[in-house]
Amino acid sequence: MASESKQFDVVVIGGGPGGYAAALYAAAAGLSVALIERDKVGGTCLHRGCIPAKEFLETAHVLRTIQHGSAFGFTTSTPTVDFAVSQNRKNDVVDQLHKGLSGLLKGRKIDVLDGTGLLDANNSVVVLDGADAGTTLTGKNVILASGSVPRTLPGFDVDGEVILTSDEFLALSELPSSAAVIGGGAIGCEFASMLSDMGSNVTIVEGLPSILAGCDTEVASVVQRSFKKRGIDIVTNAKVTGHTPGQTGTTLHLDGVDDVQVDMVIVSVGRRPRTEGLLGEATGVELDERGFVVADEYMRTAAPNVFAVGDVVAGTPQLAHVGFAEAIVAIKTILGEATVPVNYDRVPWAIYTNPEVAFCGLTEAAAKERGYNVVVKKDPFAGNGRARIIGDTEGVVKIIAEKNADGTAGQLLGVHMAGPWVTEQLGAGYFAVNWEATASEAAALIQPHPSLSETFGETLLALAGRGLHVG
Amino acid sequence: MADVTLPSLGESVTEGIITRWMKNVGDVVGRDEPLFEISTDKVDSELPSPAAGVLLKILANEGDTVGVGAVVAVIGELDGAPASPPSPVDEVPSSTPTAVAPTTAPSKSDKGLVVSPVVRRILEDGGVDARSIQGTGLGGSVTRRDAEAAVAKRPSDDVAIALTPGLRRMAQHMVDSVRTSPHGFVAVEVDASVFVTLDAVSRSTTDGTPITDETLVALAAVRALAEFDFFNATVAGDDLIVHRTINLGFVRSLQPAGMLVPVVHAAGGLTLRALAQRLSDLSDRVESRQLTTDDLLGGTFSLLAAPTPSTLVATPLLIQPNVAALSVGAVRHVPVIVLRDGVEVVEPGRRLVLGLSFDHRVADPVSAAKYLERVGEILAAIDIHAER
Repeated sequence: MASESKQFDVVVIGGGPGGYAAALYAAAAGLSVALIERDKVGGTCLHRGCIPAKEFLETAHVLRTIQHGSAFGFTTSTPTVDFAVSQNRKNDVVDQLHKGLSGLLKGRKIDVLDGTGLLDANNSVVVLDGADAGTTLTGKNVILASGSVPRTLPGFDVDGEVILTSDEFLALSELPSSAAVIGGGAIGCEFASMLSDMGSNVTIVEGLPSILAGCDTEVASVVQRSFKKRGIDIVTNAKVTGHTPGQTGTTLHLDGVDDVQVDMVIVSVGRRPRTEGLLGEATGVELDERGFVVADEYMRTAAPNVFAVGDVVAGTPQLAHVGFAEAIVAIKTILGEATVPVNYDRVPWAIYTNPEVAFCGLTEAAAKERGYNVVVKKDPFAGNGRARIIGDTEGVVKIIAEKNADGTAGQLLGVHMAGPWVTEQLGAGYFAVNWEATASEAAALIQPHPSLSETFGETLLALAGRGLHVG
Repeated sequence: MADVTLPSLGESVTEGIITRWMKNVGDVVGRDEPLFEISTDKVDSELPSPAAGVLLKILANEGDTVGVGAVVAVIGELDGAPASPPSPVDEVPSSTPTAVAPTTAPSKSDKGLVVSPVVRRILEDGGVDARSIQGTGLGGSVTRRDAEAAVAKRPSDDVAIALTPGLRRMAQHMVDSVRTSPHGFVAVEVDASVFVTLDAVSRSTTDGTPITDETLVALAAVRALAEFDFFNATVAGDDLIVHRTINLGFVRSLQPAGMLVPVVHAAGGLTLRALAQRLSDLSDRVESRQLTTDDLLGGTFSLLAAPTPSTLVATPLLIQPNVAALSVGAVRHVPVIVLRDGVEVVEPGRRLVLGLSFDHRVADPVSAAKYLERVGEILAAIDIHAER
């Protein structure tokens, strides 16, 4: 059937955020596009990642609001949760978004094929399985967006009941009374935060000296303090040596520390690229030693007219919005349009734990490591009127600026936040850092009162040399 | 398909700088139609297309230095060749299969480059155009640091204009000349009534070649050099090498700036007609940029015609390794005192100033003035009727 190979301007392998963004953006520019997806369009983010996780974290937030009701004068009984209903609500949210996305792809006349796409030589792409198995396509350009899957640990066979990864955890219809989360990164901490808020006993097991290792230490310690206050057990510098399944649950063995008896173990030790069955012989695409696809700043792989975007790309943050941005860079490059590559040092990060974390740019440690002399200012949410009103004062805004020769604060290098709704507040900091504003330039702009964003504004004023409320 | 190579540009020239492409990729070009301009250390020339067709590729950009024989462009056949550049989709810049991590940015116009509001304000305040800056940010974007550095380098409203290759050549030669020769200068006024005759008879030869003021003075200058041969010479250590051949250089200004000194070789003994013919031919080739390097080499003496119709006299610098340069002022209509029946009377007449720059190592003002007076005498005695 090779003679019936259909030609497209762009063939996209993988329908997650990177892949569907590439398809939508290419189609919007008038290019003919085929998108190959082996499961459902929307990918990990929509079906097994960001969206379901945030839906559950919102479930926990609703519970906290109910629990705070008495402080506002409401008389409530102790709330109970039917998690099956929560799970259904999450599924409804996901289904609606999935339908919306499918409609969008159809509306842009994108050919969506069902199956696993394999890139062969000469930009030929074969659909290996699924409803469209055997179909061969040729793309003037091919975009690899096959994404990532959860990493597992040797000795921890995922059974979906006792040992889970994020994939299985987000499909649960009942929550465990106790759980250990192996890996204290963003995903692990989000699960731990949600489980703890929902009433489970939680232990985080982290191999590094602290949880949220990529975050600024002061922001990470806000989360760590909050977690400990809420009874989450955090074991750092831990080495997991194995586990012994029991009648119910299992016993986790840690080197040099007491065993932990739990109903459930959630393994969140990172995500590996999904490149098995992606590349045929002699495609010219280069993989790094960990199996990620190597691409340059314009998302070009080592093979001519083959691009890669999203989680599968080597050395880039595994974030849906980074995938979107990479997709735009790739399509603009295909179109020959001017484009500025993604500045990975300055992408926005958002962690939806309680309290939330959001940041952009360099941490204080990273800035010093790169040789910057820095000026740092912090402002806690405790002094913020709106935070008092909503009853959520835990957190801090910390801003790092380059120190001018005269000692004043110059260009903003990093904005780091922990606290209420900071994932929604980061925008201003993101613009300031990426537009290379100085402290005084950003401080000259006004934040509304009363709002949580005033804490960001106060920090800028302090950084510019004279604070209004704080010094 | 035909390769366009950089042809030989004369003896001793091995490379040139491409200063201008007259055609863009995709343009139709005729055989011998001017295709690009090349600047060498001797001359700027327009080079014609070796074939008719479509300009498919330009392989050397403006400003690139290319060697003689190098392929600088490719011309494709008109039939079947794309009339416009290939569509961007077919022309995705990409790495070779063996490349590890390609680094070249895709072709782009700077119009679409994102400049942050902060950077834009810094540049606006500093009066710097973002397009004039080579950004160091991702994808060549202009960072705050780039903008601040660019503004810091621009403290005033002064504008720096890069010297054209032609100006750079002139600058170098003039600096060398002043360093080499201590310049002396003498000017004398001479009778120019020969031009009254010229105007009355004809400003062209019998075979139709124009005779200019410059032609007549050049003829007189060459004839006078027979008696003052030490001005047709070169200093070589402790010797003065006197040349038996007179190769007369004519200073020609270039637009918008710069100058050339093309040479009429073996000018000694030329008749007025022959000299007029040679000079006219040389001027035509300057105009059409058809000079070769050989036209610019070997001068032994040079002549600078009046730059404007009211120039009294200019002081030329010596064209190295010459020891003298004649400067011709404009022919002026002036009242002159003449003797009529033993009485001095004022009459309308014509005069011009001749100047001589000379190398003071080997000549002096007296010999220079005497040479100029002799040129004046010979000029006055040219028999226009007989020689034209």
